[in-house]
Amino acid sequence: MAVVESASGAPTTGPPARSRTRDLQITLPAVAIAMIGAACFLGPLVLPIPAPTGGSVLESYLPSFSAGHPLGTDPNGNDILSRILHGGRSSLIITLAVNGLGLVIGGALGALSGHLGGIADTVIMRVLDVLIAFPSLVLVLAVAQSLGPSRTNTILALTFFSVPAFARISRAATLRLREQPFMAAAELCGTSSGRILLRHLAPNVLPQLITFAMLGMGIIIVIEGALSFLGLGIPMPAPSWGNMIAQGQQSLSATPMLVVWPCVALFVTVLAFNLLGESLRSRWSGR
Amino acid sequence: MTAGLARRSRESGLARLAGSPSLRLIGKRVLLAIPILLGVSVLAFWVLNLIPGGAAQQLLGADASQAQIRALEQELGLDKPAPLRYLDWLGGALTGDLGTSVVSGQQVTQMIGSHLAVSGQLVLLAFVISLGAAVPVALLAAFKPNGWFDRLSMLVSITGLSVANYVLAMLLVLVFAVNLTIFPAIGFVPFSENPVRNLHSLVLPALGIAAPLFCMYTRFLRGDLVDQLQGEDYITTARAKGIGPWRVLLLHAFRNSAFGLITVVGLNLGTLIGSTVIIEQIFALPGLGQLLLQAINTRDYMVVQACVVLFAVVTVAANLLADLLYAVLDPRIRYGSR
Repeated sequence: MAVVESASGAPTTGPPARSRTRDLQITLPAVAIAMIGAACFLGPLVLPIPAPTGGSVLESYLPSFSAGHPLGTDPNGNDILSRILHGGRSSLIITLAVNGLGLVIGGALGALSGHLGGIADTVIMRVLDVLIAFPSLVLVLAVAQSLGPSRTNTILALTFFSVPAFARISRAATLRLREQPFMAAAELCGTSSGRILLRHLAPNVLPQLITFAMLGMGIIIVIEGALSFLGLGIPMPAPSWGNMIAQGQQSLSATPMLVVWPCVALFVTVLAFNLLGESLRSRWSGR
Repeated sequence: MTAGLARRSRESGLARLAGSPSLRLIGKRVLLAIPILLGVSVLAFWVLNLIPGGAAQQLLGADASQAQIRALEQELGLDKPAPLRYLDWLGGALTGDLGTSVVSGQQVTQMIGSHLAVSGQLVLLAFVISLGAAVPVALLAAFKPNGWFDRLSMLVSITGLSVANYVLAMLLVLVFAVNLTIFPAIGFVPFSENPVRNLHSLVLPALGIAAPLFCMYTRFLRGDLVDQLQGEDYITTARAKGIGPWRVLLLHAFRNSAFGLITVVGLNLGTLIGSTVIIEQIFALPGLGQLLLQAINTRDYMVVQACVVLFAVVTVAANLLADLLYAVLDPRIRYGSR
């Protein structure tokens, strides 16, 4: 990801020092995200750490930096580092799936709506307005509760929330593009609707959607954490940052580190995504 | 004849009123909001109907007999087809009757009323804190773009936006309630009982909600102010007239940027409601969020339905209000496109 970004960033105009800082602003968070991803997906396979569940109660509440448990253990004697890595894994899977689905479905709906205009536009946007007016967390809670807590249902519930946001951005970008001469040219050439959407609209809308997806990653990670925190996301004993924080809250005054570690993981990850999203956004808008 | 004349003159008065662009705009937006609210209530109804096994089954538990379930369904009116039940509910809701809780037997309207005050107070306090802090910080930052204060405030706000509100709430509890014991960790004292302790019990939760808002508002306002200061002709004019930099910032740029801020605040209210749910849970505040969570967990679908629709009404109303304020305040929109 980092390599692709710096390669595509090469032809930007402007003073070289400025563009180097800009490149760094994109590369650094991208590298951080790559490292977090590697730690969550490869870490448990490579590092000698115990399983995230099925710990022994005899080993509960071990402090941080204990032998064999660098971040200590939780009330059930499970290794916290392991739980954080496995929790991060499901967090990232959920977030990627939700944003991916949102980008594809919402992006297509928005572009279609903006391109077609008229009644189709009105109907699609009104339906999405309903979803936007529906308080997002409430919608997610209701769906999660109706379908029961699980990873798939969390993804489904959160997708309800991401689709309208992507659709709005995609529609706005499409409407802006419609004014451009090349769009009129394409239509005058008799290019088919499908081809216009795929070959002319999509390449121009996609960068904005991807930037939004980066900013959305942080939001979705936070909401997924909130769901798990409330017991409606990833069900215990499977680990997630949200349910680890909720579990730690029970003994906040005695063992604050149970809360602090997952909070740190959540913060660092969300910060990396937000920084990347921000830098990408300023790059695209700076052109 | 005279009656006809009177009617005509009244009509022309009404027509003149209806011809005012602001009013037409208001009317149009209000009309647009109605189908959205209906859609939300239908969606809520549909989602709640997804609960596997039906509400009666959930209420009675897994080992209830078929006869028991059917009896309860009849009692609750659940045996009627869904569209009919929805219309029943809608009719009641429009007259202020949101039904009866299937768990506690209380009137839902009453339950909501008592919880609404707590959430309302919390949100209001959060708004006061976040706006009260964001406006001066953004003004100071925009006064000297890329100065040290600007850089610092941007660093703080982008970092702050990455802190989930429940993470922040936990840290606040850890520092101020557990370690320093300045504020209570949980609990709520009604305003009518003791106003000082009421505020005291709301400070931490309100801070938890206000911090991300503060970051968002600061970023937005600072960015908008800098855009105005650097790109707008009226600023150049004002400066050319010899008006001092603070005056230009406060009386010229800020007045314009405030419109944008109003819109952002209005659009935020929806997200804000989501965060009250989790903050109220952490601090054990008896607000709407807690009512909703409890209702979701006990499958008290009447209460869930009412809460969802109420939240949607607040969200839509806030967006509407932001739109309208924007239109009323901005002469270009007031007199512009008709």
